[in-house]
Amino acid sequence: MLVGDKISLEVGGETHLSDVSFEMAPGGLYTILGRTLAGKTTLLKSIAGLTEFDSGALSSSGQDFTKVPVWQRNVAMVYQQFINYPHFNVFNNIAFPLRKKGLSKDEIQKRVARSIEQVGLEGFELRKIQELSGGQQQRVALARSLAKASKILLLDEPLVNLDYKLREQLREELKDLIDSEFNKDGIVVYSTTDPLEAMQFGGTLLVMDEGRIIQQGPAVDVFEHPATCRVAEITNDPSMNLWPATFTGGQFHIAEGIDLPAPADTSGVNEGACIVGFRSNDIRIEAGGLEFVVELSEIAGSETIIHLRRGETGMIARVEGVVDLKMNEVVPVKINTDWLYIFGTDETLVKSPFGSKD
Amino acid sequence: MRSFYITLKYLAIALWTAFVVGPFLWALSTSFKDFSSVTSGAKYIPWLQFKPTLEGWNVLWRTPARGGVDIAEPFMNSLMVTTLASAISIALGTLAAYALSRYTFKFGFVKNNDITFFFISQRIMPPVVLSIPFFIMLSKFGLLDTIAGLVTVYIVLLMPIAVWIMVDFFNKVPRELDETALIDGCNPFQAFFQVVLPNSIPGLVVATMFCLIFGWTDFFFSFILTFTEVQLLPVRIVALNSSITPWWSLSAAALISVAPLLLVAFVVERFLSKGNLSGALK
Amino acid sequence: MRYGHKYVFLLPGLLVLIAILIFPVIFTVRLSLSGWNSYNPGLDFVGIKNYVRLFTSDPRFWEAFSRLAFFSLTTVFLQYILGFGLALLVWRDVLFKRFFRVLFLIPMMTTPVIMTVIWKTVFHESLGPVNDFLSMFGLTPLWLSDPMLSKVTVIIVEVWQWTPFMFLLLLAGLLSLPKEAFLAASIDGAGPLRKFIYVTFPLMAPISIGAIIIRLIEASKIMDTIYVLTSGGPGTSTETTSFYIFIKGLREFQMGYSAAMSFTYLIVMILSLTVIVNILIRVFIGRND
Repeated sequence: MLVGDKISLEVGGETHLSDVSFEMAPGGLYTILGRTLAGKTTLLKSIAGLTEFDSGALSSSGQDFTKVPVWQRNVAMVYQQFINYPHFNVFNNIAFPLRKKGLSKDEIQKRVARSIEQVGLEGFELRKIQELSGGQQQRVALARSLAKASKILLLDEPLVNLDYKLREQLREELKDLIDSEFNKDGIVVYSTTDPLEAMQFGGTLLVMDEGRIIQQGPAVDVFEHPATCRVAEITNDPSMNLWPATFTGGQFHIAEGIDLPAPADTSGVNEGACIVGFRSNDIRIEAGGLEFVVELSEIAGSETIIHLRRGETGMIARVEGVVDLKMNEVVPVKINTDWLYIFGTDETLVKSPFGSKD
Repeated sequence: MRSFYITLKYLAIALWTAFVVGPFLWALSTSFKDFSSVTSGAKYIPWLQFKPTLEGWNVLWRTPARGGVDIAEPFMNSLMVTTLASAISIALGTLAAYALSRYTFKFGFVKNNDITFFFISQRIMPPVVLSIPFFIMLSKFGLLDTIAGLVTVYIVLLMPIAVWIMVDFFNKVPRELDETALIDGCNPFQAFFQVVLPNSIPGLVVATMFCLIFGWTDFFFSFILTFTEVQLLPVRIVALNSSITPWWSLSAAALISVAPLLLVAFVVERFLSKGNLSGALK
Repeated sequence: MRYGHKYVFLLPGLLVLIAILIFPVIFTVRLSLSGWNSYNPGLDFVGIKNYVRLFTSDPRFWEAFSRLAFFSLTTVFLQYILGFGLALLVWRDVLFKRFFRVLFLIPMMTTPVIMTVIWKTVFHESLGPVNDFLSMFGLTPLWLSDPMLSKVTVIIVEVWQWTPFMFLLLLAGLLSLPKEAFLAASIDGAGPLRKFIYVTFPLMAPISIGAIIIRLIEASKIMDTIYVLTSGGPGTSTETTSFYIFIKGLREFQMGYSAAMSFTYLIVMILSLTVIVNILIRVFIGRND
């Protein structure tokens, strides 16, 4: 059991971590989701012992971890940059930590061979690191972490610097590896900025923002019941659209000419001011809808991201397929209000379309 | 128009080449002259304009007792002092540079940048300012006119160069490399010696080259701090200048003293063209 | 990390340097307050008498200082212009560029004092090749014994010796410039001159400042060249601060006075370098914030 209690760190007046508490159990997969600079890397480095925090406690299996120097903690970490030892070949890269552990030659040979097979780098044992592609370099880093069989595996946005296709592929493999290999008695902590990736990895989700953990729980729960507007923003890409509204007479009044019909179940929602939220993929371009002006339209893979505006009210839509839109073109838009989230004026969740949590 | 530019470009290169090479060619020609060829006005081409002789070169290997200059001994002294001082400066300077690049220090109001500046600022001191107190200090310890004494002084000359180049170099080596080594079970020393250092060879080579250059070419300290026992090459050659000015042996000796560092020029260019200098020199 | 290892890395070098320097620095300060000279060797205490003499009745020291400023600024300016020009020449598309790069580096690898001995024969007024050439036009300039011309000679030798260092720093900078900027300029159809003014030069500004500072520091120590070439002469026309301190301290053995000059020199140098850095930043970066 890895337990963090009120870990805080401030560097030069800037908050890096603030009252971060967590409990991670062996066999668990923990995904830290947060925007850039939310404190994800700092948290991982604190667990590894590379960063010391100002206050708070960190213990592993009851042992005070802060007293154990990095090199004795027996953790493994993969960075978003492809960090390997440039002066070693692939085999020696993976064998290096095992040699430091003082394992026997046979054991090292066996473990390296196995992890090379796991990451699919057979035949590359004697290659130099510089001769490998980015994806292969990251596989080496992964293999080195796996071969160590550490109790704690930290993955700091390991896929972010790979191109789109490779990222998809490696993500699948990584997920399988973690499920089959690591989940028995190790703790895996995976950090990412990508909500989709976090969803696919599943496990326990820790949402971080400005050095704090603002919500934690099973991934599906967090997606279905974001505790606050901020969580809803971070756990959706593009961000969830959030509009201040007035709930009155069975509909949400947003602005002049924009009213959204309330979903079927509005129990617990009081009349008056509130915030409504809806995901970008709950917007469709459809005749007869509200007219919005296209501000920007970009194609992302098989989808199109469209920035729309009507008066003061703006939103971002994500629609399937490649849609050809001009700037300043006026398009009719329909919002699927079946999936409307309702937050109070204090930005906490009042009503989720998935009903109440239990 | 374009060909005009290109002509201009090569003309400029040719002019500077002539300026760079000129003194060497003159020295080469002079080294084969004798008294009469020198004193009868400027001559350039052997056999055509004057009768060449090897006297200027031969005299360098003869002992003073036989009327020679004996350049071999100061040559070895120079080599010894320069390599020893460079080795110590690189070793200590590299360690300090690594500390300054990776860790945060605070001694009162003194922080990393101030310590780095302290190292580098030693280059501001002109040799003449330091030579008088060094003279007194070395004579107190009985180190005047010894290799050890000179090496001590040269460390002040060379360590700033090592620190300057290596701090910049280490700043370019990703921190994550050391961190990965620590995570993989290295203590900080193992991380440095087994992981960071093997990947810092370009920086080390450049720093070594600069230490060798500035050590080998220094004159003033050895001029003040040595007399007869440990003369260094520049001192011996300049001493030739003040006597009856035997231009031929002077030129030959000068060419010999310049020769070893030509190798350094090749090494520096190699690292320059490979782009390894860009981070090291800023 | 709060482990003590960092001190093991830093302290050996730092302590060795401090150990070697602590005595000379303290001793210089103490010496400057003494009247140590050849008649009266020893560390007596005369207060600030040496400093009073330096500031009130020794114009030769301040003349040497202004001469040092003249030499440093002129040579470094010339070295910068020439070094930048040469670096641009062998930066790209030139035949045998690596050969010329090595060649252009060579002078800085040579021992200044030894090459100056050679230069002295080159500029010899009756037997040297320079006047041999110029005599064809009926000229025999007095390179080493004319007060004006001897300054020029010193500058020529300094430029020959140290332009390569500037060249090295600037070429290393040029070779590290991002290619994208030039690509963008090419697409915009900028000619070579416009590319230089709007792309190369601004990108090189930080490197230029660094290189000029380093060279100014090194150039301010000018000693070897002058010692061999002119010994400060004719008269005092090429005498710089270092050389004057050398004469007072090690020729006339006015140790106390020369220590006071050394100390004053260091203070003035540090102050002027600070000012120069600020001026350079304003010139190259264009604003001062």
